Amino acid sequence: MMRPAPWIALLAALLTWPAHAGLFDDAEARKEIMRIRDDHTARLDALESSSRATLQLANQIEAMKAEVARLRGDVELLMHDMESVKKRQQDFYVDLDARLRTLESGAAGPAAQIDPAAESRDYENALNLLKSGKYAEAATAFDTFVTTYAGSSFLPSAHFWAGSAALQAKDIARATQHFNTVVNQWPQDARAPDALLGVANCQRAMGERRLEQNTLKAVISQYPDSAAAKSAKQRLGS
Amino acid sequence: MRYPLAASMLALALLAGCSSTPMTADQGASVEDRTASSAGTIPTVRPDQMQGAGLAALRDPNNILSKRAIMFDYDSFTIRGEFMPLVEAHGRFLAANPQMKMLIQGSADERGSREYNLALGQKRSDAVKKSLMLLGAKEGQIESVSLGEEKPQCTERNEACYAENRRGEMLYAGEF
Amino acid sequence: MKLTDLFRYLLITLLAATALSARAQLSIEITGAGANRFPVAIAVMEGESQLPRGVTDVVRSDLERSGLFSLVEMGPKPIGETVMPDFAYLRTRGADAIAVGTVVPAQSGKYELRMRLYDTRQEAQLDALTLTMTPAQYRITGHKIADIIYERITGLKGVFSTQIAYVVKSGKQYKLQIADSDGANPQTALASNEPIISPSWSPDGSRLAYVSFEAKKPVVYVHTLATGLRAVAANFKGSNSAPSWSPDGNRLAVVLTKDGLSQMYTVNPDGSGVTRLASSSSIDTEPAFSHDGQWIYFTSDRGGSPQIYRISTQGGRAERVTFEGSYNVTPRPSPDGQTMSYIARTANGFQIAIMDVATRQFAILTDTGRDESPSFAPNSRMILYATEIGGRGVLAAVSSDGRIKQRLSVQAADVREPAWGPLPR
Repeated sequence: MMRPAPWIALLAALLTWPAHAGLFDDAEARKEIMRIRDDHTARLDALESSSRATLQLANQIEAMKAEVARLRGDVELLMHDMESVKKRQQDFYVDLDARLRTLESGAAGPAAQIDPAAESRDYENALNLLKSGKYAEAATAFDTFVTTYAGSSFLPSAHFWAGSAALQAKDIARATQHFNTVVNQWPQDARAPDALLGVANCQRAMGERRLEQNTLKAVISQYPDSAAAKSAKQRLGS
Repeated sequence: MRYPLAASMLALALLAGCSSTPMTADQGASVEDRTASSAGTIPTVRPDQMQGAGLAALRDPNNILSKRAIMFDYDSFTIRGEFMPLVEAHGRFLAANPQMKMLIQGSADERGSREYNLALGQKRSDAVKKSLMLLGAKEGQIESVSLGEEKPQCTERNEACYAENRRGEMLYAGEF
Repeated sequence: MKLTDLFRYLLITLLAATALSARAQLSIEITGAGANRFPVAIAVMEGESQLPRGVTDVVRSDLERSGLFSLVEMGPKPIGETVMPDFAYLRTRGADAIAVGTVVPAQSGKYELRMRLYDTRQEAQLDALTLTMTPAQYRITGHKIADIIYERITGLKGVFSTQIAYVVKSGKQYKLQIADSDGANPQTALASNEPIISPSWSPDGSRLAYVSFEAKKPVVYVHTLATGLRAVAANFKGSNSAPSWSPDGNRLAVVLTKDGLSQMYTVNPDGSGVTRLASSSSIDTEPAFSHDGQWIYFTSDRGGSPQIYRISTQGGRAERVTFEGSYNVTPRPSPDGQTMSYIARTANGFQIAIMDVATRQFAILTDTGRDESPSFAPNSRMILYATEIGGRGVLAAVSSDGRIKQRLSVQAADVREPAWGPLPR
């Protein structure tokens, strides 16, 4: 009789067991089971190492997704930069084109309407009024200056002097307005610390001692190295 | 698929064992390794019985299954090598005990937006969940949620503490 | 008459004008104000002494706290509604406007307030109104008057009558509280031992959506304030968070992780009708509708770092909005549609930023480094946010031009997650 394959033997044993329990002897069955167990262990080991590999793969995919996201971010930034450059270039072109057209047509640009000589002459005149103690007139002259020469480089100074003149002329509201204009529009200007000090002077003139003190503190904190801060410190100390 | 196979093998071995001389002692040890249980041989898988035995393993401080936290690097969602054995142990445990349910709570350090940190915590708990599923756990066994920056383990403000709070915490049913 | 030029930020510390009650309520401190505040006189009303608690004090502290007004001291002498004020004298005192009024008893224990607001330079009446109040309503009446004065002079809606929501953490307790915009009358809507985050007001102010961790995971609830009844708006497998109402109040944008990563969906406030809003392979969170409901602004890490994007509510491609820096989160479009506030990480930490929607120009508004959760006032003028001072969570507010700054804090507790409520209806 042909010997059946171990698997079939075992299956047969199981199917017929317990009726045919004694078909194979114990030793053979045990051997078979040990073999199956070894096989099973080997398969499990293989599975474990393969699932470990799968985990590593999953980790790698995660890392690559992060890398793709970073690259996507780079692309978004580059596209954005390119759009901005394109737009700026177009703006330049339009501006240049407009200027060339003006030149070609021979028309005078609006800039030509402002006479730089008149600008500095008016400024000097207003300043002289202030120096000679004609405060009300000086204030008016500076007022006119700032409206006439809205693009002037003297503007921060003009506002500052207008404020000083108005303060001397006891027009506190107007003075406050001018000083604040300097502080708000040109906070980095050399006149700004003094203008803020001017605001404090206006507040003192109005009897607003608490506000004055706060403004003096602001002078010190915002322009710590300025001469205005020095005098603010003295006034707070007194 | 692999664990049903293992279970049938185990049943087979037991049947054969009954029919003849008991198997050598190392059989028990190998079964124990597979199911990662310290409660000795496990004859038949019965949900109610398993619950007790499984939870004991989960609580045994000498058993890797008692460890539940996986820490993450800053802005990272990959499981570091040192935590692989822990994830593997829990993945196999879930696979071998399909009645067990797990909640994974992801966290983030406190810096930045609470809602964005909630999303980061979720990304971390999801990373743990995915790994466990690759190891044979079933989707239905695991819920991954986020605590964001709301439940920090460590409340100091330094990098060590932040690192401690970038974590995924694995909790079994009954533990949360 | 309008305050057209608004002023550069000046660090002027004014003392707290708010009266502190014995209860743990938010106290407001002005830490920065406009340099050019509008001088206004609020006279004591004729007959006001009949009221157990005065109304003009409330009006005055509201206006002063706004940082846009300076109060011209008028003394204790009342000025009645029928008297024409002495404009010349008021001008010398520096007052550009004055409010006067009369209180007369009305039926069933109520009082009638007749108020007039004058421009002292034009010598013209700006507004006249009559209000009826019970003595207990002295605060809300004061807020209403302050709202009207504010609107007449600045041209913007006043927000003194609004409410704010925020979360207080003391020990292990979390409380979702609702208070008046000046921090008075705090009421607890929800008290829990688990965290509460992301409160969001329904546009009509009747409900709050928020995220509570009471179920050991984030779940979105919709809470009707008047009844205390709560509905679960989103409790799916995974995390549920970041609720934000559509402008019509019919839908709620939420972030769910039921399909994996944090993704945006819309739901009905009762939790039905879940619809996916967009689909990406990255974190998409913190959705917020634009005022017109056309756009959803959100935070996404699709580009490797969290940045703000927007997507049309009709669908289409997401468009990136922020490009500076490596961390820009929590977009909050302003109610007027002009700007968007958000959190930017800078060299100084996490700070409140504001962006002009049309030009995409932006500016940093604060000088603190742990700012979170910006929330616009309904007039788009102020931004309420959470920050940290001395290791403690406080609320702060900054004007959209960065010039006016206020701080709101509760004694011995952490305050966070503020949300400014809508205008009362």
